[in-house]
Amino acid sequence: MKRIGFLINPIAGMGGAVGLKGTDGNVEEARRRGALPLAQNRARITLSLLSHDKRLDFVTCSGAMGEDALRETGIQQYQVIYHFKGESNAQNTRQAAQAFLKAGVDLLLFCGGDGTARDIFDEVGRNVPILGIPAGVKMYSAVFAIDPVTAAELVAGYQIKSLRDSEVMDVDEEAYRTGELKTRLHGIARTPVLPGKVQLSKQIFEEGDEERAKGEIARFIHEIMIPDVLYILCAGTTTDSIARALGVKKTLLGVDAVKNGKTVALDIDEKTLWALIEQGQEAKILISPIGAQGFILGRGNQQISARIVRRVGIGNIIVVATPHKLRETPVLYVDSGDPALDAEFGDSVLVVSGYRMAQRKRIYQVERG
Amino acid sequence: MQTKILLDEEQIPKKWYNVQADLKSPLDPPLHPKTQKPIGPEDLSAIFPMELIRQEVTTDRHISIPEEVQDVMRLWRPSPLYRAHRLEKFLKTPAKIYYKWEGVSPAGSHKTNTSIPQAYYNMKAGIERIATETGAGQWGSAMAFATMLYDLECTIYMVRSSYTQKPYRKSMMHVWGAECLPSPSTKTNAGRAMLEKDPDTPGSLGMAISEAVEDAASHSNTNYALGSVLNHVCLHQTVIGLECREQLAMVDDYPDVVIGCVGGGSNFAGISFPFAGDKLTGKHKDVDIIGAEPASCPTLTKGLFTYDLADEAGYTPLLKMFTLGHDFVPPSMHAGGLRYHGDSPIVSRLVNDGVMRAVAYHQSEVFDAAQTFARTEGIIVAPETSHAVKSAIDEALKCKKTGEDKTILFNCSGHGNFDMSAYDAYYEGKLVDYEYPDELIKESLARIPKIS
Repeated sequence: MKRIGFLINPIAGMGGAVGLKGTDGNVEEARRRGALPLAQNRARITLSLLSHDKRLDFVTCSGAMGEDALRETGIQQYQVIYHFKGESNAQNTRQAAQAFLKAGVDLLLFCGGDGTARDIFDEVGRNVPILGIPAGVKMYSAVFAIDPVTAAELVAGYQIKSLRDSEVMDVDEEAYRTGELKTRLHGIARTPVLPGKVQLSKQIFEEGDEERAKGEIARFIHEIMIPDVLYILCAGTTTDSIARALGVKKTLLGVDAVKNGKTVALDIDEKTLWALIEQGQEAKILISPIGAQGFILGRGNQQISARIVRRVGIGNIIVVATPHKLRETPVLYVDSGDPALDAEFGDSVLVVSGYRMAQRKRIYQVERG
Repeated sequence: MQTKILLDEEQIPKKWYNVQADLKSPLDPPLHPKTQKPIGPEDLSAIFPMELIRQEVTTDRHISIPEEVQDVMRLWRPSPLYRAHRLEKFLKTPAKIYYKWEGVSPAGSHKTNTSIPQAYYNMKAGIERIATETGAGQWGSAMAFATMLYDLECTIYMVRSSYTQKPYRKSMMHVWGAECLPSPSTKTNAGRAMLEKDPDTPGSLGMAISEAVEDAASHSNTNYALGSVLNHVCLHQTVIGLECREQLAMVDDYPDVVIGCVGGGSNFAGISFPFAGDKLTGKHKDVDIIGAEPASCPTLTKGLFTYDLADEAGYTPLLKMFTLGHDFVPPSMHAGGLRYHGDSPIVSRLVNDGVMRAVAYHQSEVFDAAQTFARTEGIIVAPETSHAVKSAIDEALKCKKTGEDKTILFNCSGHGNFDMSAYDAYYEGKLVDYEYPDELIKESLARIPKIS
């Protein structure tokens, strides 16, 4: 029996259809513009596919935050453990996530957007795997299934052993409404993964779990590190494994610098980083694609600015990612804020994905697509 | 418009061609893994029959093929040479493309050309059982077939990732009466050590070789057999190129380009050595000989030409060859037969000397080529073979640009009838383009202070 904590952010996605780019603090305006609740319908698709699965036991929130959708799709094995009144808000999402954590759920399934993901992650962290049914305006976080149907498959096939790391992104809604995308890596959650839908393909592509892959990448990077070169380790758990292999500290969400096997600086900002390399210090950047879309630059590693990349040189960027991550991101993106620099990355990039092994991945370029 | 160029059964080659006779200087000798001194026949006698040891080192230009071996080879030899009219038309190339079809053997590939003589010489030497390894299963099934013919027992260590990925190759081995085990297995010290270190390892050819060698060395009635790399294996495969030369002469042609895919090098050696001999002796100085290998395991294009172990555990002699390092475990790609860290010492030497050259391809582009081939010529080739197809198509397209009407010959080494899951993955868009990050490796190696 799997215990699933289920919640809906009933207002998620409402702002999008009426041009609000986010619903937080704007529900009234969204309604005034004629927005309809979307999240309920999205969640029903997933739930109806799970309604006959007797192995699932749901705990949920009252009314529009979960109970209604469960009842309407014919699911009987559920218990309401969190009640709210009036219009639901971020506080309710957080309290519900807390209640699920206490109830010992195996998986937290939610329907919402980036804001919902962030609120839930703040409460449960990496203690409970999180899976999102996409319904928000913005979905830059990697905790979402590609669609409600896939979300159902992931819940049904979920095993505690098959989890991957997934970035939770912070998007500045105010800036977003003015047309500017400011994202920051907020945290790294754990999300279920399907090793492969077809049995035969699974055997071909199964390459061991994430940790094993990270260990292989770390072993290789450790082996090719050159004395007196400054290594700039960007955010994420893959670069964290590299730091562990080196025996140095790493801030999970920050950018750190290492030289000759010793930490030079932790959690550095762009200016400090510039000061370290400005005088001609030879450097290499170890970076992992971030977010659901797979951005090498421009999401979550803002410290690596265009001038930093130019000084270090594109050839000295070593992209690292596990095979699982790469399977989910068929194309990688670069958004350094400098289109000319982005173009210099060319059509493809080599991504180190194992011990002495890499994969050739396509980079999205504006002109070609 | 002649499509098939056929030889009579009586035209089966009576002698193998030994390219060692035409090398300008002898090959660097294999070294003992412990003493690092050149090995002698006695070092090999624990696992090989004396006739094969002799063939390994001889510089005689021709070696007679025993009558009994020729008799068995009549089952599928001489194999047909095809003119790829439909492929040429599709590519709109002025080049003439010929392919030697080795998929007609009972096991479905060129591997039987050497499994038969190897089993035969072992039987003659009084050996009762053969231990061997297999990557994708082509060699294992060829050896199972050969040992059955000569009443030998056979144990095959099959690289674990292929064991689960290609269940029907395993079934073929069972039909022919062989025992097939996933490697690493719990049957050998090498296998147990590997499993302890890494229980989830996909296995590798290097590991499977260690297991088979250990098995043979620790049982007096058992010998080892290798499906590629070694000189005697390449020698046995020369029937392919020898037949091709005869068949092309029948249509008054001679190749400008000769192509084969390369893992350990045996099918490439088979088609190319007779032509490499013509090049070395000055008869045809300009023939361009190309080995096509995977970008994920680019031994000839990215490896170092140096002494290295042929296996993972260190039981085999050190061979002078192109290598990516015996501890390199290539990724689980579909062309399992090309997942080998090293290469035939003779092929390596000829590449190093500039007699041959090599190219490397990604998985998805070779499947594009295989699809083109299947949709023009009809044959669904093995993923390994698709590397040669890709190279042949590339060369033909170059001719289209230059307007040259070159004659291109490639070895169509085996069918892909048991590799349909690989084709499925291709159509599902799931092929991963693995690549060996040689720049990163080289740069770091170059800067590491040399230890004297």
